[in-house]
Amino acid sequence: MAPEVGEKPEVGSNKVPVKDTKGWAIRLLPLLRLLAFFATVSAMIVMALNKQTKTLVVATIGSTPVKATLTARFQHTPAFVFFVVANGMASLHNLLMLMLEFTGHKFDFKGVRFLMMAILDMMTVGVVSGGASAALFMGELARNGNSHARWNKICDKFDTFCEHGNGALIASFLALLLLTIITTISIIKLQNLHYSINHSVLP
Amino acid sequence: MAKAKRIFSLLLRLLALGATLSAAIVMVTSHEKAKFFAVSFEAKYSNTPAFKYFVIANVIGGVYSFLVLFLPPKSMLWRLVVALDVIFTMLLTSSISAALAIAYVGKKGNSQAGWLPICGQVPKYCNHVSVALAVGFIGVVIYMLLLLYSIHTALNPLLV
Repeated sequence: MAPEVGEKPEVGSNKVPVKDTKGWAIRLLPLLRLLAFFATVSAMIVMALNKQTKTLVVATIGSTPVKATLTARFQHTPAFVFFVVANGMASLHNLLMLMLEFTGHKFDFKGVRFLMMAILDMMTVGVVSGGASAALFMGELARNGNSHARWNKICDKFDTFCEHGNGALIASFLALLLLTIITTISIIKLQNLHYSINHSVLP
Repeated sequence: MAKAKRIFSLLLRLLALGATLSAAIVMVTSHEKAKFFAVSFEAKYSNTPAFKYFVIANVIGGVYSFLVLFLPPKSMLWRLVVALDVIFTMLLTSSISAALAIAYVGKKGNSQAGWLPICGQVPKYCNHVSVALAVGFIGVVIYMLLLLYSIHTALNPLLV
């Protein structure tokens, strides 16, 4: 099927020319993706290596304190496991999109590439927001405890664990912000595509 | 064709409004008192910040759906609706995820942190909250469908 777009006839290919491909927002896209990639990777790595061992006095029998060695690991909480998995998937997605950015023009077919990028971006935003907010509320519970349910806070004893968790959360929220901006730009690209196709068919 | 699209979109938004508002209402009405060794133990949704966030997010999502129901079909604001759909879907996803994380701790406890599950003492509250979370999850799924549909109608990206 011959490409029917008339604005920029490309030599013998299925390429769909996009209006304003070099607008400032669209040129910024690879840089934003790189930043989001670094943010998600660092969030995942910091949380995955989050571990703290501490020896605590749990009881006193007579005059000898009974010590127990407790370890706080991220695997103990399903919310943190989900956080690591979500950020891993998001970093994989960002890596894939970065590669597609530079090599994708060979695989274009009537603009499906832009649609797939927009949809996958939205899915990643959903997944990362889920992971980040679950870890945030779990961290809040660990920091403040819950007196109604008789759950004690654990951040006063395992402070390094909590600090590392804080850092990973901040990185993940930064990645979420960047991913939202990237999603908006992808949707704008889709719209530019739509306009360029539409206007070319008008007499 | 345009009329069918509009009716389908209105129907989806009505469903989204119903799901999010009923999730919020069911969560707010969850309440149980229990006596545990002469200690009165009251379980309410407002004891947990995650459940409060769930209620607030669902109310905001419901109000947004309600407002979009009244948008005239040819207005220029439909592109804004697509952007706002992304934001509100993200908000709802994060709220259901946070509420599920805390509800999991409530149901199964966390032995390494020394947190006991509370579902044994207040089973009715637990069931009530589970229903609210299930309805909230359905609301999230409907919002995702709405998002895809509004991108399809407002931008019509799959061409020719």
